[in-house]
Amino acid sequence: MAEKRKKKLGIKQRYSMLTRGLGWDTTYQPMDKVFPYDNYEGIIIHDWEGWEDPFRLTMDAYWKFQSEKEKKLYAVIDSFAQNNGHLGITDARYVNAIKLFLTGVSPLEYQAARGFTHVGRQFRGVGPRVACQMQAIDELRHVQTQIHSMSHYNKFFDGLHSAPHMHDRVWYLSVPKSFFDDARTAGPFEFLTSISFAFEYVLTNLLFVPFMSGAAFNGDMATVTFGFSAQSDEARHMTLGLEVIKFMLEQDERNIPIVQRWMDKWFWRGTRMLTLVGMMMDYMLPKRVMSWREAWDIYFTEAGGALFADLARYGIKPPKYADIATKEAEHISHQAWNIFYNYTHAAAFHTWIPEKEELDWLSEKYPDTFDKYYRPRLEYLDKEEKAGRRFYNDILPMLCQVCQIPMGFTDMDDPTTISFHSSEYQGNKYHTCSHGCKDIFDYEPEKYVQAWLPVHQIYQGNCGGAEVPDVLKWYNFNLGADNMEYQGSPDQKLWDEWQAHRKKA
Amino acid sequence: MSFDLTIEPIGEVIEVEEGQTILDACLRAGIYIPYQCNHGLCSTCKVEVVEGDVDLGDASPFALMDFERDEGKALACVCTLQSDVVIEADIEEDEDSEYLPIIDYTGMVSEVTALTPDVKKIIISLEQKAEFQAGQYIQLDIPGVEGPRAFSIANSPDHGDHVELHVRLVAGGAGTTYLHNELAAGDGLSFSAPYGHFFVRKSQNKPMIFIAGGTGLSSPKSMIDELLEAGYEEKLTLFHGVRAKVDLYYQNYFQALADSHDNFTYIPALSEKKDDDDWDGEVGFVHEAVERYFDGSFAGHQAYLCGPPPMIEASIRALMKGRLFEKDIYCEKFLSKADGTDDKRSPLFKRI
Repeated sequence: MAEKRKKKLGIKQRYSMLTRGLGWDTTYQPMDKVFPYDNYEGIIIHDWEGWEDPFRLTMDAYWKFQSEKEKKLYAVIDSFAQNNGHLGITDARYVNAIKLFLTGVSPLEYQAARGFTHVGRQFRGVGPRVACQMQAIDELRHVQTQIHSMSHYNKFFDGLHSAPHMHDRVWYLSVPKSFFDDARTAGPFEFLTSISFAFEYVLTNLLFVPFMSGAAFNGDMATVTFGFSAQSDEARHMTLGLEVIKFMLEQDERNIPIVQRWMDKWFWRGTRMLTLVGMMMDYMLPKRVMSWREAWDIYFTEAGGALFADLARYGIKPPKYADIATKEAEHISHQAWNIFYNYTHAAAFHTWIPEKEELDWLSEKYPDTFDKYYRPRLEYLDKEEKAGRRFYNDILPMLCQVCQIPMGFTDMDDPTTISFHSSEYQGNKYHTCSHGCKDIFDYEPEKYVQAWLPVHQIYQGNCGGAEVPDVLKWYNFNLGADNMEYQGSPDQKLWDEWQAHRKKA
Repeated sequence: MSFDLTIEPIGEVIEVEEGQTILDACLRAGIYIPYQCNHGLCSTCKVEVVEGDVDLGDASPFALMDFERDEGKALACVCTLQSDVVIEADIEEDEDSEYLPIIDYTGMVSEVTALTPDVKKIIISLEQKAEFQAGQYIQLDIPGVEGPRAFSIANSPDHGDHVELHVRLVAGGAGTTYLHNELAAGDGLSFSAPYGHFFVRKSQNKPMIFIAGGTGLSSPKSMIDELLEAGYEEKLTLFHGVRAKVDLYYQNYFQALADSHDNFTYIPALSEKKDDDDWDGEVGFVHEAVERYFDGSFAGHQAYLCGPPPMIEASIRALMKGRLFEKDIYCEKFLSKADGTDDKRSPLFKRI
């Protein structure tokens, strides 16, 4: 008989030996006063020891890992800069995706750092506290590396100079900003459900994969590298999202309806925010990776379907309105691009009418909707532009009280009718863009009536002045450079000069 | 060409094909290593190579650092073997596992009896006493059939001078057809054993629920025999689900055990009771009988599920609804070649 090997301590045991006793029950103040937030959401926890550490990493090992990641990443960023990496991208239109990422997504990493720092103090269980604190540091690293990677483009292209300032003020950036504001002002368990579960687990592949493969397809190696560097942290974040859900669902059955409501809410809020990604994939990448519809099918319908099939064992149902979101995947990117085309004079990136081959690609990817509803509009707008009548919409749009997206989306079964919903609260009427957003408003109207809606704020005189240029200056835009149509923009001129030089050389 | 992979801290040895990743081999052998991306990008499946040579594959430099490569770390999802290898992985030790080595046995068939119209009891007598834990299975070589077939052992390990198997005839199945139609007492048979992680966790001293479907009765029988012989004091409840009365076997055996042991209860259930079945017991799916008996509340128990995949899934849902979760649920799915691979699963659960 083969000799049996001597048993060794498993990694889990070693970790618990190492960390045991780092938490304690307070004595001269009651625990409920020291941790006032972890039970007011109605989540009932009987045994904090039931928390399974989703990853077991000591601080010592953590610094070692992260410092090597940084060394590698900065070597790539440096060589990208020294070799004028920006000249290797497919087309200057691609940089507009970077502008959207830097102003719309990178500040969310900072918001995440703030959120995890906060909840990393609020759980009375040691396990979730430590996990949140480590993630807070990850998120700070992500925002830093993203700013450093993309700063190279800021030397040559417009619209990249004031990302944090713009994030706090610009109308369309209030969409991602308000998403995180909503999460951070919720309780600690809802925060983890919204960010760690809905965002980092269910929807993350719909955000990062498109941007990073978009970068790879379009020759932007610096962005690809920070993507890899961040993704190696993401695994920890995803397992935290799964663990918190299992923990809540297993601790007490009264938690189930609360968790279900949060999943419904944050799934819907997440898909609304990802509209920006869909638009980027279908319209802003000169070399396309896959359509938004295809990404949705792979990453939500298939991967999310497997997840929700497993969650059904806990009595959890797929998110409410997932069927509508799937229908929207046929329309939403086109409708969003149309909104931005209308308001490019008030945006910090450029829009354009796709070229002929690009329109053909969209026709092929969206055989049921694009030729019928969207291509004729784009071709009409193109004709107008070529006739010297590039259309800009000077009327400020009505915004959804919850997702803050202009109310331009249609009923999905009737794509020529705008979808309007409204609710009364304390004698006032509040507008929402969808059943999903209306449900969210109706459950917590006292929260959403406080929303900082950019259009309302402009009309109330809180945004630099009464005229559009006043507002844009308050946004810190370089008028005529950051905004307006791509055709004829300084970005385009510079790019064309470089291409001409290259031809001569 | 294949290599032996030893997995610490559990000490299990599995075979890995050339070009097969460590993660794939482990998952197929029923050993769960935590993983996420399966593409060498996320580092969830990091393991330490203690001995032997490996090819690190396409591990991202951000997921597997240079200093980790120097320290002998690897990502199981992209790492392949170049020799016999010992790894240490983030696997939880199981206090109740005896980590028995797999041994090849040769024995003689001493009994072939029909238990029901489509289930046969086969007893293989051994000269060398077989070592196994109650609930584990053997890989049986069947004459004229390519590749071994898995069968759970139905007798207690205290009586390892033979193994008892319950074999259902699978329509069109070469292996079970041979065992039903050709095999006779006196024949020689060889097998290797023991396999699997389906054994009782008695160190936790919890009351146990056994849910068996059809010939899934074999493992629970072995477990219950051993527990009762050893004087285990917690309550044991066995549910056996079959279609009709004609499919039920060992009814008298378990009824006698229940009569002589206060802590053992036996509840058979018929899902497709025939009109002429002489039956006043449970009718319906076995998981429904379990819910009725425990009034839908299972907290504080351990459950052992053994049978076809739909029965396992329905039972898991019933148990979870009654507040019993993964750490207290153990299962052995009976898959025949026709069942194919599992549906796409999320990483939410590890074992169930």
